[in-house]
Parts: sequence; C-alpha cells; structure tokens
Amino acid sequence: MKTTFKTFGVALVAAFAVTTAAAAETIKIGFNAPLTGFAAADGKSARTGAELAVEQINSAGGVNGKMLELVVYDDQASPKESVPIANRLIEKDHVKIGISGSYSGATRAAAGVYQSAGVPYISAYAVHPDITRAGNYVFRTSFVGEVQGRAGAKLIGDTLGKKKVSVITLKNDFGKSLAAGFREAAGRFGIQVLNEYEYSIKDRQFGPIVSKVKADNPDAIYASGYFFTAGPLVSQLRAAGITAPIIGQEGYDSEKFIEIAGAASEGTIITTSLDRDSQAPETKDFIMSFEKKAGFKADMVAASGHTAVKVAAAALAKAGDRDPAAIRDAIAATTVTASTGTISFNKLGEVRKDVQVQVVKGGSWHRHSVISDAALLAPPEQ
Amino acid sequence: MLIFELFVQGLVQGSIYALIAVGLTLVYGLLRILHVAHAGLFTLGGYCGVLITNETGSLTLALLGAMMLVGIVGMGIYKLCYQPILSHPPFVALIASIGLFIAMEELYRLAFGPYGISFNQPPLQTSVNFLGMHLKLAEIITMLGAALLIGALALLSARTRIGVAWRATVTMPEIAESFGINIEQVRYINFFVGSALAAAAGVMVAVLNNLVEPTMGSVPSYKALAIIVLGGLGDVRGTLIAALALGVIEAYGTIYLGHLLDRDAIAFAFLIIVLMIRPQGLFGRAIS
Repeated sequence: MKTTFKTFGVALVAAFAVTTAAAAETIKIGFNAPLTGFAAADGKSARTGAELAVEQINSAGGVNGKMLELVVYDDQASPKESVPIANRLIEKDHVKIGISGSYSGATRAAAGVYQSAGVPYISAYAVHPDITRAGNYVFRTSFVGEVQGRAGAKLIGDTLGKKKVSVITLKNDFGKSLAAGFREAAGRFGIQVLNEYEYSIKDRQFGPIVSKVKADNPDAIYASGYFFTAGPLVSQLRAAGITAPIIGQEGYDSEKFIEIAGAASEGTIITTSLDRDSQAPETKDFIMSFEKKAGFKADMVAASGHTAVKVAAAALAKAGDRDPAAIRDAIAATTVTASTGTISFNKLGEVRKDVQVQVVKGGSWHRHSVISDAALLAPPEQ
Repeated sequence: MLIFELFVQGLVQGSIYALIAVGLTLVYGLLRILHVAHAGLFTLGGYCGVLITNETGSLTLALLGAMMLVGIVGMGIYKLCYQPILSHPPFVALIASIGLFIAMEELYRLAFGPYGISFNQPPLQTSVNFLGMHLKLAEIITMLGAALLIGALALLSARTRIGVAWRATVTMPEIAESFGINIEQVRYINFFVGSALAAAAGVMVAVLNNLVEPTMGSVPSYKALAIIVLGGLGDVRGTLIAALALGVIEAYGTIYLGHLLDRDAIAFAFLIIVLMIRPQGLFGRAIS
C-alpha cells in the first residue's frame, strides 16, 4: 500500500515537473563542478558565482525574453565523472552552452565531448593549455598557466626588482605550467632561479623544503599552490624566519588562505583575475552581491564562474538559442565587461585580459598593481 | 647544518607517523584486522583539537578531550563494526573498514564543511632557536609529546597488570583466556589506547598546519599500512623505528629526489625494497 502511494506520488511530481518545464521555456546552460571530493570548496564557490549571474540576468528580464536555467552536476574534479556528465547535459538536458566550473583534468576530458557534439563549452578557471585545443567550440575565460607564470616573472623581476628566486612548484598541471611560464620569462627580467622544489597536492607539511629554501637565502619565493597547500606553506616559511616576499597565483585567491596562514599571510602577493579594490561597476557589484548571496567573500573562482555565465548570456542574446554554430561565432566575437575585467578571445578561444595583482594587507586582499602588457600576456594561438 | 635540519624535520614527521601507526599495529597484533578507518579517527582528533581550542582557548584541554573522545569512538567502532564480523575471514573486516573510512570522510565534510577549519588563534607558533635552527614550538612539542606518549605506553605494557594481560592475549589468546583474562576488555582497551594516540597525532598535525580538512587522513591511511608492514605486522618497536626512519628518508627524499620521486612514492619504494630483502619486515621474525 505504502509503495503504491509512493509510486503515485513520484508520478504526480514527475507530471508536474514536465508541465512546469513546458509552461516556461528556458534556455539551459550546463555546469559541471566538483561539489564533493577534495576540490568541493572551489566547486561550491564557482557554482554560487554562476548562479548569481543567472539570477541577475533573469531578474533583468532574461535573454531575449527567455529565462536562463543552470543545470548543475557534480564531477568531483574527475574526468571519469565529467565525460558522462557532458554527454548527459548535451543528450538529455539539451543545453545550449556548457560551462566548466571544474579543474583541468575534468574540463579537458569534457571539452572533447562538447567539441564533437558541436556545442560551445566555456572553461571558467581550468588552466591546462590543451583544453582549448580540443577545437573551435571550446573557450576559456581564465589565463592559461604559462601566461600567469610570465606575469609572475614580470612582477618579481620588474615591479618588485628581486632577482634571486627560489621556486616551489605544485606537482600537477596547474603548478607545472605556471613554473614553465615563469622560467620562460625569468631571463627577460634578469631573474636567476636558485633552485626549484616540487611537492604533491596532498602535502601539508613542508619542513624539508622550508629548511632548504632558508639555506638558499633567496630575494623572493615563487610558490604555486591552492589555498589549502599555500596556507600551510606560507605559515611554515614565515615561522622559520624567512622574510623574503612570497609570490603566488590565483590558486591562493580565497579568504580561506588568509584564515589558514593567519598573520603570516600579510604581504603575500598573487597574480589573479579578481581586483577587490576595483572601481569598475561590474566588479564592485559582483563582490557585494556575491557576499550577500554566499555568506562568504568572493574569490577568483566565484568571479570566474560568474564571468563565464555572463559571456554565455551575451552570446545567446546576440545569436539566439537555435543554432549552435551561430552561438559559437557569437562567443568568439564577444567583448564583454564582467567581474574579472573586459573579456575577448583570440582565435584559439583563449581569453585576453589584464592580470590583477593582489596583496594581503590588514587581513584581506587588496590591489597591489595591474599587469597589462599585451605582448607578455599573449595567450597561445594554437 | 642543512643535513641536520632535514633530519630534525624528518623526526617531526616521523613522530606523527609513529603516533598513528602504533594504534594500527596494536589492532593488527590483537585481531589481525587492517584497520583502515584508523586514519578517520586521526582526522576526528584534528577536528576535536581545533573545535575545543576555539571554544575554550586551551590546547591542553583540547588534546585531552580529543584523546578521550576519539578513544571512545574507537571502542564504538570495535563494538559496532568489527566485533560482529570477527568470525568472518579478515578481508571482510578490511572491506568494512574501508567503507567506514570513506563514510567518515564524507561525514566530516557534511558536518564541518568542505573548506577545512583553522584555529582562531594558532597555538605554539613561536619560533624557537634550537642549536642554531629555527624550529616552531609546535614541532618540538610534537617530538617530545610523541616520545612521552609512546614511552608511557611502553611502561604501561611492561609494568601493569593490564599490560601483561594485553601481551598475553596477543601471544596466546586461548591460554590467556583460560587464565582468566577478559579478552573483550583487553580489546576495548586496545582500541581506546590506539585511537587516543591517533587523536593526539591529529591535534598535533592541526597545530603544525593550522588546517584540518575532511581528507586529512587519506595519505596517513595507506602510509601507516606501509609503516606497519615495514615494522613487521603487530610489532610495536619495529613500527616505531620504521615510522621515524620513513620520516627521515622522506625529508631527505623531498629535497634530493623530489624531481624523480614523489614524497608519497618514497614510502612505497622503500617498502618494496625492504620486502624484497626481508619479506617479514625490517624487524619481524621470519616464520620458519
């Protein structure tokens, strides 16, 4: 008896779901992000940023009179999950555009699926260079690792004028591509790399590396990582009495970094995409609305999720939601000012925008400088 | 000088490994179960440490509270998870243990959030000048604390009636039982002590990193298995030496082999080499 009622209930709910879906026609945007697993924190932040963008667009009347709908699946930052999710989003949910709020491994695998289905795919913040090489339907609104690594070299060698550098590299595609870009540009700014150390994403204790860096006695330290590795790393470097400036990247870009490293985080400088002290209305409004919605402060990942949806919406507004090829062309031709700056794409689908340099001052992120050297920051063309 | 500093850093890491692995080897010695969920208790210890310190402001209280609480949870795991399946082959308990470990990680994520938590006022962060080295007070306390706790355990097992009963049960359970030793009681004490030590390790790691995450136990879960195999399964002294040795080898390996070999791979390379030469572990006795 009980089961019969349950079945009846399920059928009823399903029927309602179908009718409501039919009643209000929406434009679906697919979204894969790690909502569980080690990267869940970033996934949640990116999703909240994307949801905020959808709410903002819908409350302003939607796109060409239709509401946007974000269809979200948890990919656990794993290619094993992201491929079936991409298939599902395309085949079952019939999304017009896919967005990745996930890491490189998952994004790279899904990019191939979108490309062969001919559905545009935007990577919000994954860094691996091969992602956009999947084909002409794949775009990226964040910097590839190499570009950010080159920006780091300019920041250290030119802006800060430090020449002897120890490099600490996170051993994954993010850290390695950053280090490659850094080494490539180091010579141009007179930087001498004293030593390079590698650590794994699971490491939280850096005692041996800290001791060795101390013996190197560098002018500056270029260390890649995410807030959960960088927080312990920076606090351990400072506790060992090392006072050289520490330069990180967008992986540090979270309030959580400051919380973990505490007082040791003061003065840490990073290259990233979100300028907390921006006077641009898009950025200011985003920072305020995000904190209100999420209950915690905006970070780079959140801003990137937000930006990717804004790019998608701008393309849909221009090309309509019927023809995937037209939507692709519209994304390729986009120039949108969003929370992470003014976005346009090169012919590979890589973003062109300025690098924001932020510093921890008085326990929160603030503007340090902006790097807008178009030649240095040129993303790969093929 | 650097050589010496790396050695000390290795000992700090080795002390943590020792505190975790001793509990694991105790359980193996007694029940022949590979208790993977032990690393989940280590994580729980970290959470207790941070939460109690943030609430009360006292790290000492947090350490004692964590050891007590986690010790009780450890006994609960024995009662609810292992005791009912003791009559089955050991792999049944192993599977149950892996399942329990995954469930614990997800539970921490649900209860405490995916971001991990930190101390409001990170304790023991003062830098101490020790023989010309800058050490964090937390690093010194970790080494001393591990030595103290494990020393107390050694004393307990050598000098007290409970200790004698425990050793008798490990060597010859049937005969021990026929001499009136309450085997169930020994098992409970075993789980309490082992879990409490893991909790102490969790609190110390929380202080060292100022970060406790749901997945904090994932590396220790399999590395501790490598350590107890190295030490000769069930052999406490061997486990201690293996733990410290691995810590030191990793410290040197990170710097001098880092480009070739991941830090976490070093443990297993070491394990493979040792097992090729001495299949019974570094200090285990060969079964003839």
